[in-house]
Amino acid sequence: MAESHRGSHLRPPRAISRSILLVLAGLTLAACNPSEEPILIGLAGPFSQPRAQSMQFAAQLAVSEINQQGGVRGRPLQLVVQDDSGLADIAVRVARVLYDDPNVVAVVGHMNSGATLAAARVYNSGDNPLVEISPSASSPDLSGAGPYTFRVCPSDSIHGTQLAEWARDRLGANRVAILYENDAYGRGLRTTFRNSFIERGGQIVSDDPFSAVLPSFEPYLTRIRSRGGADVVLFAGARAGAAEMLRTLNMIRFQPTVIGGDGAAGIETAEVDAEGVYISLAYLHDQPGARNETFTSEYRRIYGGQLPDHRGAGAYDAVFLLARAIEAVGLNRVGIRDYLAGIGQVTEPYHGVTGSIGFDANGDVVDRDVVIGIVSNNRLESVAR
Amino acid sequence: MKPLAALNTLRARIILGEAALVVGLVVVAVIGIGALQTVKNTVTQELASLTAVSAENNRLVTALFEQVRAAEQYLTDGSVEARNAFSSGGEAAHTYQRRLQTLPELAEADRLVVTRVGVLQAEAEVLYSFAHAQQDLGRRGDAQSGARLARERATEMLRLVGLLSTSQSVRAETTASSLEQAATDREMLVWTVLAASVLIAVAIGVATLQSVERPLTRLAAAARRFGDGDLRPVALGGMPSELTTLGEAMDRLGGTLRTLVTEVVEESERMAGAAEDLSAISEQLAATAGDVSTAMEEVSSGAQRQVAGLNESCAAGQNLHGATEDAGHVSSRVAELGADIHRLAETYGTDIDAAGNTLVELGNLVQQTARQVEELDELSEPIYEFIDLIKQISSQTNLLALNAAIEAARAGERGVGFSVVAEEVRQLADTSAQAAERVSGTIKTIRDHVSAMGETMAAGRAQARGVGAVSQGAAEALRQIVTTVKEIETESRRVAGHAAQNLTAVDNITQALRSASDAAQSHASSSEEVAAAAQEQGASTEEMAAQAAVLNRAAEHLRSLVKAFRA
Repeated sequence: MAESHRGSHLRPPRAISRSILLVLAGLTLAACNPSEEPILIGLAGPFSQPRAQSMQFAAQLAVSEINQQGGVRGRPLQLVVQDDSGLADIAVRVARVLYDDPNVVAVVGHMNSGATLAAARVYNSGDNPLVEISPSASSPDLSGAGPYTFRVCPSDSIHGTQLAEWARDRLGANRVAILYENDAYGRGLRTTFRNSFIERGGQIVSDDPFSAVLPSFEPYLTRIRSRGGADVVLFAGARAGAAEMLRTLNMIRFQPTVIGGDGAAGIETAEVDAEGVYISLAYLHDQPGARNETFTSEYRRIYGGQLPDHRGAGAYDAVFLLARAIEAVGLNRVGIRDYLAGIGQVTEPYHGVTGSIGFDANGDVVDRDVVIGIVSNNRLESVAR
Repeated sequence: MKPLAALNTLRARIILGEAALVVGLVVVAVIGIGALQTVKNTVTQELASLTAVSAENNRLVTALFEQVRAAEQYLTDGSVEARNAFSSGGEAAHTYQRRLQTLPELAEADRLVVTRVGVLQAEAEVLYSFAHAQQDLGRRGDAQSGARLARERATEMLRLVGLLSTSQSVRAETTASSLEQAATDREMLVWTVLAASVLIAVAIGVATLQSVERPLTRLAAAARRFGDGDLRPVALGGMPSELTTLGEAMDRLGGTLRTLVTEVVEESERMAGAAEDLSAISEQLAATAGDVSTAMEEVSSGAQRQVAGLNESCAAGQNLHGATEDAGHVSSRVAELGADIHRLAETYGTDIDAAGNTLVELGNLVQQTARQVEELDELSEPIYEFIDLIKQISSQTNLLALNAAIEAARAGERGVGFSVVAEEVRQLADTSAQAAERVSGTIKTIRDHVSAMGETMAAGRAQARGVGAVSQGAAEALRQIVTTVKEIETESRRVAGHAAQNLTAVDNITQALRSASDAAQSHASSSEEVAAAAQEQGASTEEMAAQAAVLNRAAEHLRSLVKAFRA
């Protein structure tokens, strides 16, 4: 008796609540339901430094765009930002924080190779490994660092071989002088360029290391000039060294064509005349593609006319890749990893702002050409290849 | 207790001792073999890791020395070989450093040293290259100052790789001594287990020996006792089961002997006693035979007195007849009264039963109402859920309205109208939240009332139950009264019946008394005959007394013979 009474009393509220929740679900499709538990994605990089600014801006833009379109599986994405100062030991620490938070399903980061490699040891360890997608870590050492480590940018060895191809075939260079930063990045880029360039019949006329302890570039450059000059100077190092080298070139009035790897990106805004310097990049804001045009115009509109760099574009693509993976397989860390590993092999490649993205067995992006940019009016513009 | 009992045989004890020894030896062997294998594995591992680290370390040291040597040589001769050796040495050193860094066996402190060596090498390389460039440009002074800077780094770097080698040998020593310590510990363990198992085996052996020796001594003593005529039981406690069997056999033998002796002693005592009694009785008989004849004469005169008494009794019997008839009348009256009470009680019993039934119905009614009140209380639960839902919806609507307001603000002029609507929506959401809150308050009040009502109902139910119990008690008491009255009725009827029977019995007794009087007269004559027979018996009894004295003497002799045994 009592049971049937209660049942008939309960039915109307349940029916109402169901229909109201359906209406609410409809509303949240238009703008993601903010009261839903957000899905957490780690974002790790040296955000206290200007070079990582674009990475953070673009990642946040991607998240807000995804949330505006209803989030992932009806839940909003939310970034958990961790500053690793670009250092290996701090990267390990912040990686541990992200790893230990069971609500973090994946990480976009880290920005530079040293931090990414150190953090990879944490992410690939233990019972509950965590995916990291680096937007910009390009060291060849990162290839195969672990099944949970991915990157959406080409490795330095791709930069090296494609720069050699560019110098030899497009610039017609026969004689190249190399100046390399005496660290893993510089030595790696120099070695792949050197091998590739010699293979193409070019000649390396000099091959000199530098670092912060170098008193001056002048003896190296003067010696190059005194020994018959060079068609092209390859600069394999970071932006600070590049600026110093360009200053020295101007000082001694020696004007070879200068090409450099993506480490030198940013030289266009340095206080030095860098006009005409070629730089190989994983991405350039004006590279062709409808997807990229939308991204750059939106980025420019929101962030007061600024332009995204390759780290920003990589982070933007990484966030969308993760959203796609979570949409497909849910919040399971292992599931996300397996989905990412299958992109380009099991599933269609992802067409992002940096280009088409698919992963090989090492977690490296497959068949990705670098973009060659030229400094023009303190801007980097892509050069048609 | 049972497992202990199972151990209580010589066989089990010996097997146990042997087993303890064997187990001890096996443990010793296992520990020994385990220790040897552990030591072997540790040695192999440590050696492998030491070898791996020191091999890379040696290659690194060689490459670094080669690079520094080539760098210095180029500064003096500027030869192409020196230049090439410098760069190939550098590349080799970088490779070895990276390999050393990735060796898992490398200690953390050493890893830091290797990193520092890498930094110093990179700096030295840059500075030497710089010096070489100056040298190539003919600037000897600048080349030398560059080289000085390079040498500072190189010296520090070579000192550090030296440290690395030292640390490797220190580690080798530490490993060796820790291995030695581990081996010593294992050895001690082996000795301890060996000693312990020998001790256990000896202890079990001694215990077994003792458990054989002590009972055997006891059994031998008991056998000796038996020989000496001491037949007390053998103490059997605390013996292995084989000896217990032997002891039990001895005990059975002793027991049989003991019983035999005891029986003989008892028998002889009884015989002596009987002989004594016999002679005493025969003497007494002889003495009393005379008394009997005297008594018999008295009996004869007593019988005559009895005849006179019985005649008086017959008269008394006539009086008893009248009294018994009265009792019969009274009993019949009691039975009539009982029937009245019975009728009355049955009438009241029906009334009380009816009242009780009414109370039970009332109780059920109250209980049903209480249940309905409870249901009412439970029903307010879904209403709360509904209110929660409304609140949730209004807070979400509120947030949506806020977002809409922000978006409208972003849209600028075109969004003004929309922002008004958003504000209206937000206020609507607020109002519905407040309404929900008020509904929730009302429900709370209703719920309080309902629960108060529920309490009152519960109290009423308890009272009804109390009254019901009382009326049931009353009905029960009446029922008991009816039963009791019935019993009284039956009883008084029986009394009336008995009275009638008594009447007959009294007549019978009078009759019997008369025949008793006749019998008494005949008794008097026969007792005179008995007195004559008793006098004859006196003579034969004296003869029997003489024979009893002979028997008594024989019994005394037998008793003295068995007294040597101690039962």
